Amino acid sequence: MKLSLTFIVIAALALAACAGVLGLRPRDSSHPFEHRAHATHGVNCVDCHQGVASAGDVEPLHLPSDATCVGCHAKPHDQHSCLGCHGTADAREGARLARQHLRFEHRAHQTATHGDCVRCHEAVAEEHPDTLRPKMATCFSCHEHQDQWPLRTCDSCHKNLAAEDTPPVSHLVHDSDWLREHGVRAAGARDLCASCHSERSCAGCHGVGTVPALPARLAFDQVPLSGLHRAGFVARHSMEARADPGLCTTCHSQNSCQGCHDNNHIGQSAGSRSPHPQGWITTGAGGGDHGMQARIDPTSCAGCHGGAGEQLCVGCHRVGGPGGSPHGPGFRSERNKTHDLPCRLCHGVGP
Amino acid sequence: MRPWVDAEGLVWAGAKSSVTGDVLVLTLRLRDPKGHAEVRGGRFVLATGAIRPVQIDGAEVTLRAPWGSAIESFGGAPVVPRLGARPYDWLAGGRVSQKLGIKAIVGISYIQRREGGEISDHEMGADAAFAAARWLDVASFAAYDLTSPGLTDARVSAASRFDAFRVEVFGSELSPGRLLPATSLFSVLGDFPSQTVGGTIKWLAAPRLDLLASGAGQDVGGALGSNGWIRATLRLDDRGDRNLGLELRRVDVSTAEWTGVRGVTALPLGRGFRFSTEIEVVVPDHPSGRGVAWPWGLCAVAYRRSGWEAAAAVEASSTPEHLYEANALARLSRSWAMP
Repeated sequence: MKLSLTFIVIAALALAACAGVLGLRPRDSSHPFEHRAHATHGVNCVDCHQGVASAGDVEPLHLPSDATCVGCHAKPHDQHSCLGCHGTADAREGARLARQHLRFEHRAHQTATHGDCVRCHEAVAEEHPDTLRPKMATCFSCHEHQDQWPLRTCDSCHKNLAAEDTPPVSHLVHDSDWLREHGVRAAGARDLCASCHSERSCAGCHGVGTVPALPARLAFDQVPLSGLHRAGFVARHSMEARADPGLCTTCHSQNSCQGCHDNNHIGQSAGSRSPHPQGWITTGAGGGDHGMQARIDPTSCAGCHGGAGEQLCVGCHRVGGPGGSPHGPGFRSERNKTHDLPCRLCHGVGP
Repeated sequence: MRPWVDAEGLVWAGAKSSVTGDVLVLTLRLRDPKGHAEVRGGRFVLATGAIRPVQIDGAEVTLRAPWGSAIESFGGAPVVPRLGARPYDWLAGGRVSQKLGIKAIVGISYIQRREGGEISDHEMGADAAFAAARWLDVASFAAYDLTSPGLTDARVSAASRFDAFRVEVFGSELSPGRLLPATSLFSVLGDFPSQTVGGTIKWLAAPRLDLLASGAGQDVGGALGSNGWIRATLRLDDRGDRNLGLELRRVDVSTAEWTGVRGVTALPLGRGFRFSTEIEVVVPDHPSGRGVAWPWGLCAVAYRRSGWEAAAAVEASSTPEHLYEANALARLSRSWAMP
């Protein structure tokens, strides 16, 4: 019992010590501005944000200054700038970026909202809101944009989505195992992806053969945990390939293995060890393990034996050859046996 | 450039054993400002519906109707790196899709690709995605091989988000033989498709601590296997500029069994400098005389100022090929932005 109590106390102290690191206890002295407190004391938004009601798309941000504060708070409690603590730099930077990247006029919204700022800035009612900028969902409560969604024309509000270079976190989040997930998500939503991503976003990885280096190799100083070819991928690439047969082939051509091994002089020197285990090919019934393994991952075979190397298989498995038919159970093909590649290699009449 | 036209180009040059370079992207896009029609031409990555991404030199035309219908048609030649000799290769296809409100989209795609004049890929595909509720969205696609009739590649993913959790369940079937060009001898063996079913869960355990776990079971030619990993990311400030990460991974498929641990650190040093490290140790179950563990580590320093970025790193490892290996890496880049 005493031991348990000691453990609980130590755990509580450890958690308290880590609270700042985990973000449970903020260390920054700045905090979100007390909008709610001002509103409940009857201070109108435009008393501080003067001129915002008639603001267009290009005016300054109408953020209050220290001079605005001392208009009411005649005796500030210290000599520092009010904005150093009251209001966060993040919120002000967010407002600046919104002005830079969005088309928006406060004056155009006065009639529809009857001058009620809280109609859109609804977070003012919260005790500690991160930001008062309305979310996109708030815009959509009036502006449905139904005809623009299918056409993916976002430029009525966004000046240049690609240039924003900001993930629209309010409605699309690329988290969890996004690397694995992005393919199936993008299948039906290429237009949506293209709203924010330019061509080079895809080509940086899928432009196999034309990229200067693997993305992880090129951005070696950025170290996220996710990534297909990160860290010591070269050492474990053969195991990665075997763990998911065919995965490499979804991007790489069947010649990629051979090309890279040739460039690095792997498997070419005299006396090089065969990568195949004992019993790979036997002369008895079944021919050894190679047939089964070739059906599990034919892309691995093609990586080294593709192209001219296919003749190695044809030597035994041609029609009438000692290897017998290499086709698996239920194999079907629409190709012409004697005319089309690769059928004619074994079924063709004459060389 | 203008509401009806934009262009993008990305060309690189460098030196390995000889001076080299290539064109990664070079596109011109013309579009109706209202979005009803779009023409894209040049070098780009084609990826739509169930069609696997392929980089082409070609063109694509897209027509969209206000009621959510869209027709895409494309054609061109698969890219040959560095202006290499171009055989008689080309591809063509298209996709027809229909949005169902803002909740769902369905599409059907087709592609035919030829190598040396012979059909190498001939596929039909279907894709569907729907947001059944604010807390559930599902996406899927399937590609069907018309040359050796059968499913080439099928995937489905269902994700849900509630409070501090995001949960995803996924499944896939992949036929490696059908992924190969139909002109390859290895495409006619009659392969064993691999099936995978798994799930991922993300938990925002604390405002600055993310925990992520994923696990999947596989059936590869009747041999059952599994893989999984756990990943933790701790941000040391609100923006996440300083962070620590740790990942444990286990792969247990019959011919590939290994355990790995990886750790990363990123620390801004001030005045535009940034320091980062990454360490990984992989322990194969069956090392076959190639070392009981394969450690890998990297330390990098980067500096960024007014469009310029310089980075340098030292990388050291012990791999199955080399007992000791060390590399020095450097990168210098400059970016320009047009107003």
